[in-house]
Amino acid sequence: MSIQTVEVKAKVPSPSTNFWQTYRQSKLGIAGLVLLLVITVIAIFAPVLSPYDPKSSAGVGAGQVYNPPSAAHWLGTDDAGRDVFSNFMYGARVSLLVGFFASFISVGIGGTIGIVAGYYGGRVENILMRFTDTMLVIPDLPLIVVIVALTKPSLLNIIFVIGIFGWTTTARMVRSQTLAVKSRKFVLRARAIGAGRRHIIRHHILPLVMPILVVQAVLVVSVAVLNESTLSFLGLGDPTALSWGQMLNYAFARGAMSTGAWWALVAPGIGIIWVVLGLTLVGQGLEHVLNPRLDTHHLMPGRPVVVNHEASGESENPTEKNPLLEVRNLSINYINEGKPPARAVENISFTLKEGELIGLVGESGCGKTTLMLALLRLLPSAGQIVNGQVIFSGKDLTALNEQEINAVRWKDISIVFQGAMNALNPVRTVGDQIAEAIIKHMPGFPRDQRLQERVIELLDLVGIAADHKEHYPHQYSGGMRQRAMIAMALACNPQIIIADEPTTALDVMIQAQILELLDSLRKKLGLAIIFVTHDLGVVAEICDKVLVMYGGVTAEYADVDIIYNESRHPYTQELLKAFPDLTKPKKKLSSIPGYPPRLDALPIGCRFAPRCRLAFARCHTEQPLLQKLNDSQSAVHIASCHLLEVSK
Amino acid sequence: MSKDHFLEVRGLKKYFDADRPSFFSREARHVHAVDGVDFQLRHSEVIALVGESGCGKSTLALLLMGLEEPTEGYISFEGRDITHLNDNERKGLRRKIQMIFQDPYESLNPTQTIEEIINEPLVVHGIGNNKIERDERVKKAMEDSGLKPAEVYLQRFPHELSGGQRQRVVIAAALVLEPEILLADEPVSMLDVSIRAEIINLLAELRITRQIAVIFITHDLGSVGFFADRVAVMYLGRIVEIGTMLEVLEKTQHPYTKALISVIPVPNPRLRHERIILQGETPNPIDLPSGCRFHPRCPLAIATCKVSDPPFITLSKTHQAACLLLVK
Repeated sequence: MSIQTVEVKAKVPSPSTNFWQTYRQSKLGIAGLVLLLVITVIAIFAPVLSPYDPKSSAGVGAGQVYNPPSAAHWLGTDDAGRDVFSNFMYGARVSLLVGFFASFISVGIGGTIGIVAGYYGGRVENILMRFTDTMLVIPDLPLIVVIVALTKPSLLNIIFVIGIFGWTTTARMVRSQTLAVKSRKFVLRARAIGAGRRHIIRHHILPLVMPILVVQAVLVVSVAVLNESTLSFLGLGDPTALSWGQMLNYAFARGAMSTGAWWALVAPGIGIIWVVLGLTLVGQGLEHVLNPRLDTHHLMPGRPVVVNHEASGESENPTEKNPLLEVRNLSINYINEGKPPARAVENISFTLKEGELIGLVGESGCGKTTLMLALLRLLPSAGQIVNGQVIFSGKDLTALNEQEINAVRWKDISIVFQGAMNALNPVRTVGDQIAEAIIKHMPGFPRDQRLQERVIELLDLVGIAADHKEHYPHQYSGGMRQRAMIAMALACNPQIIIADEPTTALDVMIQAQILELLDSLRKKLGLAIIFVTHDLGVVAEICDKVLVMYGGVTAEYADVDIIYNESRHPYTQELLKAFPDLTKPKKKLSSIPGYPPRLDALPIGCRFAPRCRLAFARCHTEQPLLQKLNDSQSAVHIASCHLLEVSK
Repeated sequence: MSKDHFLEVRGLKKYFDADRPSFFSREARHVHAVDGVDFQLRHSEVIALVGESGCGKSTLALLLMGLEEPTEGYISFEGRDITHLNDNERKGLRRKIQMIFQDPYESLNPTQTIEEIINEPLVVHGIGNNKIERDERVKKAMEDSGLKPAEVYLQRFPHELSGGQRQRVVIAAALVLEPEILLADEPVSMLDVSIRAEIINLLAELRITRQIAVIFITHDLGSVGFFADRVAVMYLGRIVEIGTMLEVLEKTQHPYTKALISVIPVPNPRLRHERIILQGETPNPIDLPSGCRFHPRCPLAIATCKVSDPPFITLSKTHQAACLLLVK
């Protein structure tokens, strides 16, 4: 499942190294950072940078109030003849100072309340959250105005008053994140180790809540800057500290509007917008780092398929007469910007007849899912079919346009996904969702009684009683949800179902039930099934043919009996040995040391060679070709291994 | 209690409060998660607890770990009653009983390095006088868990490891405390078959090299059959059959055990056999069936199964099962 590897890489950047790399991808985030850096530099170095002392009206003669912008005064002068540009620079100091410290207080309070409420739960949570709710309904700003008006208008007071309000959102977000983290298994494991509450909060909760705190802190700074400006504009600011709000206040109070001195108003206005915009954009950039999936479109089909129609005519093609589906020499690459493409699937061929069940077996990361997605052209945008054909009822699916392939998807070939059990919408009844699947794929279907009858018929087919039609997914057990997913896949009477690990997360008994269901469906409906799994035991129970994949290539392909009793490829043999066999209890299981190759680091020779006990020199330098083996009863038996060539 | 039963469980019950059937109902309802479980564990013994989801096996594990308080019953360890302990006593006991969880993707904190994860139990328990001593212990636990050489893994993060390697990290973090009992809750069900063998072999080795007793919880008898000494089959909060592995596999008595064994996939199409596929799923443990709890799904149920609760029938010194068909 190479898609997963690709996704995982994008999703979990290692904490510090990849932070900046991911952040950098957000253009808005970079813009915000630049805005903030510039204004922060201006604020810090205001005494050095500003052309005039803001308190004096140096260089301006008396009576020269509201001078328009000039070479001497870039932003003009105010009513007292002071340089507006210098005021602007000094104003930035006050605004940012209030913003950052108030945010620090606010996020500190909100974070503490959120974590304590979320982690301790029970009565503590109840009291804290009711308090939070109460604070939430009180309008912040009027209250801040009242309190500031009643206290001494000092900068410290303003920071403190703004800080102790506006923490409610933080508290709520942090609480829900804490609840989510607390329910994760590593917290339970920490308890099992013997860790106390303080330890767990410090080492397990806080690091995972921190990203939210950082984003909140950034957003709260902008709220605090706005609040401070409002207070100062209302004349409640600290008269000794000139802020942008105060500049606005003075300009308004002293007739800037009536004298047409727009610069006295525009300068502080720009300052406020500048900071708020910068902070919001930085917030966006941080979002991008924390939820990189917001703007990835990995599973969106779209990129046109590049097909080399001169499919290389390998002589060892498995051929059968009139198959329902024939896959010929299919190869799929993942495009990696700046790197050579990853060869995820190479030269896979198999055939499928009506009513036949083929097992596609291999460890995670061997390309099974990529292959299945390619059959229906549902590959992520980086995936490209670079060679081969998929012939279904006389058509090459790889050559169809988007509209034509859409006509095949679901109606002729449908998929039951691995995680599909979670794919049901929790707020709609299962019956509704099946009806929707029917209408979506067959728009002409009558939307009357016949639709309901069809839903009942489908549920009956998968062994769900009609009275469960009106139930919601949470009322279904895991096994029933999987049955419902199969019912949806059957909605348009497809000829082929691709079942991607449909039983992996299920108990053995439920697994047996689902296998029995699939087996009965193919007998009843003549359905052909491609069963994707890592579990050879499951395959042995119901499959007719087996394709064993390793590292994106065919290891061995034959009838099920041959695979289990006369397998020739070392990988197949090793897989079988790793399987617990109750007919031979007390036998030590053998395992295959090592892991499947990474797609971006495929071995030069045979892809299995690094883990193969029988590998010899040639295996490490030359990729083995598919060999047709004629030594068995099987209609077709192919394998790729140098040992087989030698013995020939 | 005999000396070699160093862990003993008697009449253990855990009921959770359930929602009332309706707003006006006065009836208090309970989920009977664990409903009267007895068993003993010997030194370095491996016992498999087998059953479908909802049979109470995971709750039983949490009770044994002291992560849930039992409603009723008795647990003793090395002759000492450990049913209810305060935080401090519990903490001491944690060094002796450790647990491995099902999902190696979820049971590791993504923000910690492997070194921090495995070192954490030592910090929590204040073990080791200095860093050198702790590093030594961390390294040994890692190498015993098959993470060799340890240096390669120390500074990595969980997401950089494969599923099998992560499960080894979880095992190392348990081993670093040098426990006497390892509770493994479905430790391989999320892993590929080829990796499962490695983890099971590792646990089998540990009981020999470190004399650790293992309680292996699983829904798949096939995955433990070969290394467990004894098997206990659970259904709806109770053990329905318990015996040595060979007794349970070859002289199966309970119809539920028979069904569970019959659905274990056999990796050979020539040995395809009739499977006893029970219909439906484990009933919900709020409204328990009358009589024998298994009767609604039992292919062999007779009239009396609906009314009387079967007693535990002793079949041999080590083998017991609860089924009315065994009553002579």
